[in-house]
Amino acid sequence: MVDILHMYKKSNKVRNITKKTILYIVLSAIAIVILMPFFWMLSTALKSNADIFAWPPDFFPKPALWGNFAKAWHAMPFNIYLINSIFIVVLGMVAEITSETLVAYGFARFKFPGRDLIFFILLSTMMLPFHVTLIPTYLIWQKLGLVGQFDPLVIRAWTAWGPFYIFLLRQFLMGIPFELDEAAEIDGATPLQTFVHVILPQIKPALLAICVFTFRGYWNDFLGPVLYLNDMNKYTMTLGMYFFMGGVNEQPSWNYLMAMSIVIALPMLVLFFIAQRYFIEGITFTGLKD
Amino acid sequence: MEQYLGTTERWFITPLVLMFLAMIIYLLLRKLGWKARAATGFALVSPWLIGFIIFTAFPLIYSLYLSFTNYSLFGTPKWIGLNNYIYIFTNDYEFWPSVRLTLLYATFTVPIGVIGSLMIAMLLNNRIKGIGAFRTIYYLPAVMPDVAVALIWRWLFNSQSGLINYVISPFLKIFHIGKIDWFGDPKYVLWAFIIMSVWGIFGTNTVVFLAGLQGVPRSLYEVAELDGANSWIKFWKITIPQISPVILLQVVMGIISALQIFTVAMFVRPTTGAGIFMNQLIYNRGFTQLHMGQASAIAWVLFVIILAFTLLVFKSTPAWVHYEGEIKR
Repeated sequence: MVDILHMYKKSNKVRNITKKTILYIVLSAIAIVILMPFFWMLSTALKSNADIFAWPPDFFPKPALWGNFAKAWHAMPFNIYLINSIFIVVLGMVAEITSETLVAYGFARFKFPGRDLIFFILLSTMMLPFHVTLIPTYLIWQKLGLVGQFDPLVIRAWTAWGPFYIFLLRQFLMGIPFELDEAAEIDGATPLQTFVHVILPQIKPALLAICVFTFRGYWNDFLGPVLYLNDMNKYTMTLGMYFFMGGVNEQPSWNYLMAMSIVIALPMLVLFFIAQRYFIEGITFTGLKD
Repeated sequence: MEQYLGTTERWFITPLVLMFLAMIIYLLLRKLGWKARAATGFALVSPWLIGFIIFTAFPLIYSLYLSFTNYSLFGTPKWIGLNNYIYIFTNDYEFWPSVRLTLLYATFTVPIGVIGSLMIAMLLNNRIKGIGAFRTIYYLPAVMPDVAVALIWRWLFNSQSGLINYVISPFLKIFHIGKIDWFGDPKYVLWAFIIMSVWGIFGTNTVVFLAGLQGVPRSLYEVAELDGANSWIKFWKITIPQISPVILLQVVMGIISALQIFTVAMFVRPTTGAGIFMNQLIYNRGFTQLHMGQASAIAWVLFVIILAFTLLVFKSTPAWVHYEGEIKR
C-alpha cells in the first residue's frame, strides 16, 4: 500500500517535471521570437554601409561600429528635435495628468444629475476615430492663428483628452473607501484638501502607469507634429525620423535608421524598467474584472 | 527660445481660464439650487465637457457638413450634396482597396491578437522560477515607439537583404519564388502588417489578460477538481466565462485600434501600388491633395464602420459575456 502511494507520488513528480520542462521550452522559444527583432536592430545599427546589404546576412557586425550612433545623431539636427520633444512631452503630460485626475475625481466621488450620461458619452468618444475630427480641429487652430506653433499639441491636454485614462483613474478612485473622504470632511477639509491629502496618495500606482502611457503618447505622436509643425526648428524626434528616412524611392541607410530607432526607443525602455512594478500593477488594479 | 515662450504663456493661461469657468459653473449651479457636492462634481468634470464641446462635438458635426461640400482649405466650403460620397463609392480607385485592406487587417489581427495573447497569458500565469523575466521580455514590444516598430519590421521584411526573406529562403527555393517584396507587393502587404502587429499586440493584451486570470477565484477550480473536471473543461467552463468581460474589452479596443492604424503604416510606407489604409487615405486626400470634403466623407465612412462593428460586438455580449452577480435566465 505504502509502495503504491510512493510510486504514485513519484509518477506525479515526473509528470510535473516534464510539464515544467515543456513550459520552459515553449516560453523560451517565444521569447527568442520576440527578442529577435531587438537583436537584429542592434546588430544592424553597428554594421558598416557595405555590410548591411550582405547576402546571406551576417548575424554579428564585424567590427562593431559604435560610432554609427554619433553619425546618425549628427546627420540631422536631432539636438533641436530632442529639446522640442521634451518640451511637448513635459507640457502635455503635466496638463493631461492634472486635468484627467481631477475629472476622474469628479466622476468617481461626487453624485450629480446627468453624471452617468456624461460618463457614457465620455466612454463612447473612444470609438470616435481621431481622423473624423481632424480637419475641423485643424481649422480651429488655423482660425486661432496657432498652426505652426506647439499649441495644438499641448494646450488641449488641459481638457482631459484621454478618455481611457479617465476611465482607468475612475476605476481606481472608486476602489478607495468613502469613509476616508467623509472622515476628512468631518475634520473640516475642503474637497480640494481631501483630494490632495487623502485621494492622491492612494492612486499613486495608477498615476505612474498613466505617466508611462502618456509619455509614450506624446513621445510617439506623429500625426500632430506632421500636421501642425511646418518649421524645421520645431520638429520633434518622431517627425525628424520621418524625414531622416528619406524619399519614397530612396533606399534608406538602414544602419543609421536602426541606430536612431534604438535612441528613440531608449527613453521608453528606461522608463519601463523604472516603473515596471507600478506599470503592471497599474493595469492590474483597473478593476477590469467587474 | 521664442518658439517656446508663446506656447508656454498660453499653456499657463489655459488652466486659469478653465478654473475660472469651472468656478462660474459652480456658482450658477448653486444659484439653481444644486447641493454643494453635486455642484463641485459637475465643476470638476467641466474641463472635459468644455474640451468635448469645442474639440469633439463641434468638429464631428462640422466634418459631417464638410463631407457634403467641396473645400480646399482656402475660400469657403461649397455645398455639393452627396457628390463626395458618390465619387468615392463609384469613381475613386483608391477608396475600395483601402477599405478592403483596413477591414482584412482588422479581421485577422483582432482574433489572432486576442486568442494569442490569452494563450500566452495562460503560459505566463504559471508559478515557476524566472517567470518574472519572461513576463518582462513578453511585454517589451509594447513599450517600443511606433516609429521604431515600423522601422524594425520594414528592415526585417526588406526584399533584398531582410532577415525574414533569409530565414524562409529554403521554402522560397522549394516553391521557386524569388525574394518576396513584403511591403511592396499587394499579395503580401497584408500579411506583413499582420505579422508586425501581432508582435506588438501581445505585450499589452497579455498583461491585461494576466490580470484577469489572476482575478479568477481559486476556489472555483478546486470545486471543479473535486467534481473530477479536467483542464479542458475547467478552461471552457470556468476560465473563459470568468474572464469574458476582459475578452470583450480586448475585442472592442482591438477593433477600434486596428481600424485606425496610421503611424506605423506611415513609417512602413508601403508603395501606393501595394495598398494604403483608410487613415492614410484620409490624410493624403485632406492634407496632401487638399480635398477636405472627400477626406471628411472617407473619415465618416470609417466612423460608421467602427460604430457598426462595436455595436455588433456589444449586441452579442448577452450570449457570451458573464458578469459576476448576474442572474442567468
